[in-house]
Amino acid sequence: MSSDVDTKKVADRYLKREVLGEGTYGVVYKAIDTQTGQVVAIKKIRIGKQKEGVNFTALREIKLLKELKDPNIIELIDAFPHKGNLHLVFEFMETDLEAVIRDRNIFLSPADIKSYIQMTLKGLAFCHRKWVLHRDMKPNNLLIGPRGQLKLADFGLARIFGSPDRRFTHQVFARWYRAPELLFGAKQYGPGVDVWAAACIFAELLLRRPFLQGNSDIDQLGKIFAAFGTPKQSQWPDMVYLPDYVEYQYVPGQPLRTLFPMASDDALDLLSKMFNYDPKARISAQQALEHRYFSSGPPPTEPASLPRPPPKKESSNSRVSDLNPQDGPTVLSPPRKSRRVMPNREGFEGNDYFADKMEVQDHDIRQAADERSGHADMSLDFSVFGMRPPARPTINSADRTHLKRKLDLEFQPEEE
Amino acid sequence: MAANFWTSSQCKQLLDPEEVDVVHQIDRERGITLEDFKLIKLHMSNYIAKLAQNVKVRQRVVASAITYMRRVYVRRPITEYDPRLVAPACLYLASKAEESTVQARLLVFYIKKLYSDDKYRYEIKDILEMEMKILEALNYYLVVFHPYRSLSQLLQDVGMTDATQLTWGIVNDTYKTDLILVHPPHLIALACIYIASVLKEKENTGWFEELRVDMNVVKNIAMEMLDFYDSHKMITDERVSAAMMKLNR
Repeated sequence: MSSDVDTKKVADRYLKREVLGEGTYGVVYKAIDTQTGQVVAIKKIRIGKQKEGVNFTALREIKLLKELKDPNIIELIDAFPHKGNLHLVFEFMETDLEAVIRDRNIFLSPADIKSYIQMTLKGLAFCHRKWVLHRDMKPNNLLIGPRGQLKLADFGLARIFGSPDRRFTHQVFARWYRAPELLFGAKQYGPGVDVWAAACIFAELLLRRPFLQGNSDIDQLGKIFAAFGTPKQSQWPDMVYLPDYVEYQYVPGQPLRTLFPMASDDALDLLSKMFNYDPKARISAQQALEHRYFSSGPPPTEPASLPRPPPKKESSNSRVSDLNPQDGPTVLSPPRKSRRVMPNREGFEGNDYFADKMEVQDHDIRQAADERSGHADMSLDFSVFGMRPPARPTINSADRTHLKRKLDLEFQPEEE
Repeated sequence: MAANFWTSSQCKQLLDPEEVDVVHQIDRERGITLEDFKLIKLHMSNYIAKLAQNVKVRQRVVASAITYMRRVYVRRPITEYDPRLVAPACLYLASKAEESTVQARLLVFYIKKLYSDDKYRYEIKDILEMEMKILEALNYYLVVFHPYRSLSQLLQDVGMTDATQLTWGIVNDTYKTDLILVHPPHLIALACIYIASVLKEKENTGWFEELRVDMNVVKNIAMEMLDFYDSHKMITDERVSAAMMKLNR
């Protein structure tokens, strides 16, 4: 059939290079588009053995990304079947925000932070305008391109909202980024869940460590309340009606100024609005972009000038285990360093000081347009105090199977 | 969603009727006329609806499945893409895309139950293979907007909620034609309300005139539906099977 010939041609168009990583539903390769010379990431979706055809998560991603074209959203360039597998072609992204946050050689100025969070919110506002909830916002799903552009990726949990009364699963987001309404089991929720997660990312950029690191859903709520105080009825009137609502002992919470001593007043004001307990009162992504934090100085850094981990060397061996201390701390280049000596950087010097002692690793696999695997998380840095950061919970594959099998499918008929 | 139709892929992909009513060369050589082509697509729309009733999915899934099927045949010859396989595969794909997955084996089970004819018999493997080909034919565009969403809003606005069932039924019937490939969904919804107004002898001219839409288009859609209802009376099982026969090698 003629279409088989076409398919062959498409597959020939891309020159496969090294493996970048392994996602939940297949391998990701780096490749060159021979027609344009562009470097791309190709996600190969295994289909062969599955009894249910094209992976549900992959299909969601395809469906939504075909409609979402924006500078701050990963571009799905092409898709083609080859040898029984579906291949998705994405623009190639060098690294991700998690790698930036964790790289102790990188100093993030207030202007840099503003730039990263602005790009995050821009991508999010675009999704919400298109009535799409991302539902898996976290630093390693925010990919960074060769010119510093940040793009939302991994739409495998995303879905269209806006249908009145439609119920969704609350089992979304990695726990540390989960909004309190989700932790209380809300099934009808909106874009506020993404804004909460963006607030967690904002906080993480300021603190250089995940902000609210709960080790269970209950503990997550405990961490949230310990930071902001147990919500009062007046702050969040609908809270008591949520399915899994339980009363927590009252704790007062701390002033944001204490939690984020280095942040500007404008930053704290925006943060407090994004962390509003009541999802109805929480600031929207679009409103957040119009907040004075983004119009007051310092202006956000141009994406191309943003600090990012050193680009990975071309190496044939690009498996994960590049535990190579010799490759260790890459010293900041002088121009960058001088650019960063700015009056408003006090308090951040510590990073540079400690940087010398830090060991750095290549974040190879993070370069994949897809980043999803559990394996990816075991490398990474040492904290300032020589302790490993707690293992980052993500939605593991077991959860995800459970998810797609059970929760999101509104109708799962009984067998014959 | 309705607010985004204008920036959607569907909006950009709307076709002229002349582009939809094209019988592929290869199909014409088999003696398939435009009339046959339309009959087969009608028959397959009914097939999808019937299957969907058995596996119990929302109307939106049915609507998307039929839209996929009709889009496929704008680009692919009907003699090479057997509609008796494309139809269930479209339903399968649409159920996933609309987040109400139906298992492929359940479809296979009901296909066997509904049709004893061997020509309808396909296995899970066939459906999954066709799913991929459909994705390709659709160029991976899966989001479809339907008239249903605007319908209830509009009915409330015009004060005709009593005609909900009637209009909903007319909207369902629009999927027996290619209208969804040609017109924006809200105009289809309006045309269905227009027909219902005429049937119920409700004077809504003022309301329609105040809408900032091209009433000529709405009337044309309504006319097309009325024509369809007229011609539908003439469609017999014999005519359908005669058209379907031409698919067989």
